[in-house]
Amino acid sequence: MSSTLALLEVLDRDGVVRQSLKVGAWPLRVGRAFDNDLVLDDPYTAPEHLRIARDDTGQLALTVGDSVNGLHLNGRTLAAGEQVPLPAGPHDKPLLLVLGRTHLRLRLATQRLAPEQRLGTARVLTQGLPTLLVLALAAALVLGFNTWLESEPDLLTKSLASFAISALAIGFGWAGVWTLLSKVFTHQAHFGWHLRVMLLAVIAWEALMAGTSLLAFAFSWPWITDFNFVPAYAILGAMLYFHLQAVEPLHPRRTLGFAVGSALTGLALSLWFNVQATDRAGSELYMNHLFPPALRVAKPVELTDFMQGAAELQTRVDAKAKKTDAED
Amino acid sequence: MSTYLRHLAALLMLASVAGGVHAAPSPPPVPLVAPAADPAASAPVSLSARKVYEQARSQLVQIRTVLKGQASQTSVGSGFVVSKDGHLITNFHVVSEAALKPERHELVLVTADGRETPAQILMLDVLHDLALLKVADPKKTGGFDALTFRPDTDKLAQGERMYSLGNPLDVGFAVIEGNYNGLVERSFYPQIFFAGSLSGGMSGGPALDQAGRVIGINVARRVDGEQVSFLVPASFASALLARGRDAAPLKGDAWPIVAAQLTAHQDVLTERFIAQGWKPGTHPRYSVPVPPDRFMRCWGSSEPSRTGGLDFERSDCVMDTRIFVGEFNTGTIATRHEAYDGSNLGTLRFAAQYSASFRNEGFGRLGPQHQTKPQCHENFVDRKGLVLRAVVCVRAYKKLPKLYDVAVLVATLDQPQAGVQGRFDAQGVSYASAMKLAQHYIEAYAWVK
Repeated sequence: MSSTLALLEVLDRDGVVRQSLKVGAWPLRVGRAFDNDLVLDDPYTAPEHLRIARDDTGQLALTVGDSVNGLHLNGRTLAAGEQVPLPAGPHDKPLLLVLGRTHLRLRLATQRLAPEQRLGTARVLTQGLPTLLVLALAAALVLGFNTWLESEPDLLTKSLASFAISALAIGFGWAGVWTLLSKVFTHQAHFGWHLRVMLLAVIAWEALMAGTSLLAFAFSWPWITDFNFVPAYAILGAMLYFHLQAVEPLHPRRTLGFAVGSALTGLALSLWFNVQATDRAGSELYMNHLFPPALRVAKPVELTDFMQGAAELQTRVDAKAKKTDAED
Repeated sequence: MSTYLRHLAALLMLASVAGGVHAAPSPPPVPLVAPAADPAASAPVSLSARKVYEQARSQLVQIRTVLKGQASQTSVGSGFVVSKDGHLITNFHVVSEAALKPERHELVLVTADGRETPAQILMLDVLHDLALLKVADPKKTGGFDALTFRPDTDKLAQGERMYSLGNPLDVGFAVIEGNYNGLVERSFYPQIFFAGSLSGGMSGGPALDQAGRVIGINVARRVDGEQVSFLVPASFASALLARGRDAAPLKGDAWPIVAAQLTAHQDVLTERFIAQGWKPGTHPRYSVPVPPDRFMRCWGSSEPSRTGGLDFERSDCVMDTRIFVGEFNTGTIATRHEAYDGSNLGTLRFAAQYSASFRNEGFGRLGPQHQTKPQCHENFVDRKGLVLRAVVCVRAYKKLPKLYDVAVLVATLDQPQAGVQGRFDAQGVSYASAMKLAQHYIEAYAWVK
């Protein structure tokens, strides 16, 4: 019995090993025919799909068999009959092969093993139960404060009760769906992670809304709340990115692209909707966040100056009236 | 609150299926006619009503607006002959579709004996809701009997009998007996208060005195009352006839005419509104603009919170008069304010609710086919030490050039747990008037001296 030269692994679509085969001697042959070392059950592969052996110079090489579809080696497409040397040095990574719909990984004994990874370093957002509790408490306080703010005194307990029920239902529902997705694709739940992502997003959202409203009022800057949906989409995008991190950890760049793309798409649709519905890009016709008078910083203007500004609206509405006339 | 007496064909079709005719689509729906086979159910007509009707019968017409090329009627109203040459008077709202969309509609007159003949519009008085028509081919139809107008100098006494004629709901020509009750109070343009039951389809018909002279023209009724109906005084119709007797028929759509008359109206309205000033003593702390009850009515209410929250008092001032321009009404002014006391709530909760109330304002009265989207200007405004948040929003009319709707929102910002929010609306005004009115409204806010 010779020592193991390589390990050939069959992966499922999530990258989990289904089957592995120790290779004790070259050549290694893979295909649908019964005389192969690894016999495939994939209608999109040839009877003799590939062969790995040492060539004349002693270098390990892969030869594609008589296949219609060819194969992919580390993302490179090879046609039938092609022969390529295999990277087998100590710093080379295991080879990824796609034959038809079958994903294979070939680990060579000459390649160095990757070091052991520490448990739990994979996703640190604010690890651990204590932080989770702090976040949950903070979110509950912020939302509870909002409920208090908007309720009538005699109806406070009722409002708080219905708030608590809906917050728990929606929160667990949201985190639960993401947990389910994580479980399906990574075989791990990551419930704590999803809960953290959600709570941080809720806190960031509330801080954004309260902060922009206060600034808009204090300095009389209507544009801040008119366009606060832009950072709101950034929060949603970040939330989506971090949720997806625990669903598809293998492709962080793709995930990031998807999250950014989603946020930008949402933003573009919102802008388009606003222009359609109101002829303006912003979401608020006028600043409508009134705070206690002591929080006002901007100086009030004289009525004549104010009316001057109102008079300047005329060119804008006249232009709109003309434009739509032309369209009719 | 009042509804015009033009009756839509769709309603008629619905009524004939249901076997009973209902009033215009507003609450409460009142059945207006008894089954035809039960003549005893109608009130006995006095001898003079019979006499008046017999005299006026040949001068009375029904005016149908008919879809071109399809011959189905889109609305029906009434009218009456005022000259031997075939001039007729009716309401503008009876012929508005034909006036504003002449490419799709035409007018057909139907006499009491069932003859049909086409008619043309000579002149409009949009502000008083009148139209002067003429039979398209007077020679063909022969001569006409004309009704005469009762002169203004011959005053009527309250309670005097009078008779309104027309064709209610396309059921058939009718005479309705009622009483003269003087002019409607607080109306911007004079209207006669007729205590009689007008119905849809009678619009444009004449209301006659016992001698058969025209006192007024049927125009509207209140659906929330009984026998509260309105007439346009005859003097406006005789003036229209004098002005338009020899006019050529209208060419093209009437939007420019409507716009010009509205422009004249808004000048008068703006001037009268500003000249009348504001009511004194409307709030203990501020002077809050509330117009005097000359041509507006203010309704107030006081609502202490039932749930320990915000107490508020409100006042709504509206004009009865609004100008019908075919597809919508305009030419009116309204003000409103709410005084809030949030001492039960504390500063933060008061601010949240005060803010929610400021947010809760609509600007979507008319659809995008009639008006542009609103454009607003806003800032903190200093009124001699009293700080206000003020917002002015304008919309331009698309078919009425150089006319706008303006809305002003004001919120006082000097107390942490109380305040007043007001809203001012003027419809169908020039930009200069809009600015004048907005400034007039905002500058009325101040501390009570």
